[in-house]
Amino acid sequence: MRVLTKVLIACAAPLALTGAARHITPTVVLHKEADVIRSALPTATQFFLRKVTIGKADLARIKQEDGFAPDEPEVKFYYGNDANGALAGVVVFPQVNTQHGPWEVGLAIDPNGTVTSVVVTKATVETKPWTEKAIRAHLMDHFRGLRPGDDVMRALQSLDRAQLGKMPYYAAEKVTQAVGRGLTLYQVLYKTPQ
Amino acid sequence: MMGLYSLRNADRSVKIAAVLFLLVLGYAYGFAFLMVRHWSGLTPADVAATYTPPPGIEESALPEQSRATTQALDLNAMQGERHTVDTQLLIQDSHIHIMIYAIVAALETLIILGLEWRPAPRDLMIVAAFGFGALDFAGQWLMKAGIGGFSWLTIASGWGMAAVYLVLLIATIVRVLPARPAARSET
Repeated sequence: MRVLTKVLIACAAPLALTGAARHITPTVVLHKEADVIRSALPTATQFFLRKVTIGKADLARIKQEDGFAPDEPEVKFYYGNDANGALAGVVVFPQVNTQHGPWEVGLAIDPNGTVTSVVVTKATVETKPWTEKAIRAHLMDHFRGLRPGDDVMRALQSLDRAQLGKMPYYAAEKVTQAVGRGLTLYQVLYKTPQ
Repeated sequence: MMGLYSLRNADRSVKIAAVLFLLVLGYAYGFAFLMVRHWSGLTPADVAATYTPPPGIEESALPEQSRATTQALDLNAMQGERHTVDTQLLIQDSHIHIMIYAIVAALETLIILGLEWRPAPRDLMIVAAFGFGALDFAGQWLMKAGIGGFSWLTIASGWGMAAVYLVLLIATIVRVLPARPAARSET
């Protein structure tokens, strides 16, 4: 019986260790898309959804500009008009998928094509702390003012990799990559509605 | 016979360990149920939508030029997006969860061996304890391969794991409770 007790304890120990190291990977919504659109376009009184089905020519351009192909053939742009019917801005939600789960950002662009805000909308239980640490290091501030064609990776230069830590820096890279993809999608696919 | 023992006659500490393990496991399963209900859903359609990959881009099917449609949007009516598990996430989930399923099944097996069941039901329960966990992820990978109809396999496996757990919990509690004293004959 003592042997059995030892066996039970020996089996329970690795279970406890495994449980402690368990990766829980459901997606965590940090900000709802509707809230991001509303706050990113404060002067808008009317909102619209523009769905763009990517054509062959534009897909080739996206691959050439940013080296990626969207997962789905349809890209959604959300835009708002102010009380005079003028464009208040556009919001797009590009996503980067990794083995740690997806990162999605809400990228807001003004009518002149300049980034006005970036908000991380989706991460995972595992990646949320890394992402929040990168945000606290003021990563998001460095996206403001970017325009399509700009080198988004410049935003990372402001971060001290050693101080931030390996995984928060990784999160910052993925967020930056998502911003880059969003700008490319905007540049290639978004045409101001007539 | 090495490997088999009697839970009924086991040391009190072994009985306590077996019962507490099962109760705490049930505690975790309760949250697992809530998590699955919240992130994946409980119907075959919901589960299939979580794991079956989107159609993806097939270049030959794309139009030559991009085309757009515009519609008015009510932000208040905007629904949250469905949680989906892409291939990379499923790889990570698999390598962790299948291992944990195997460890749990091994611990359940240690208890099953002490229940003094006949060989056939004992072996069936051991196979079920290991098998349902494996089938759960088999279903997820078959859906990931684009065969959405296998959502039933994942759902059935989840309920199968729960059934194994409940049978084991009840059998264990029955075994660890003090045996009824034999009825005295009155003369």
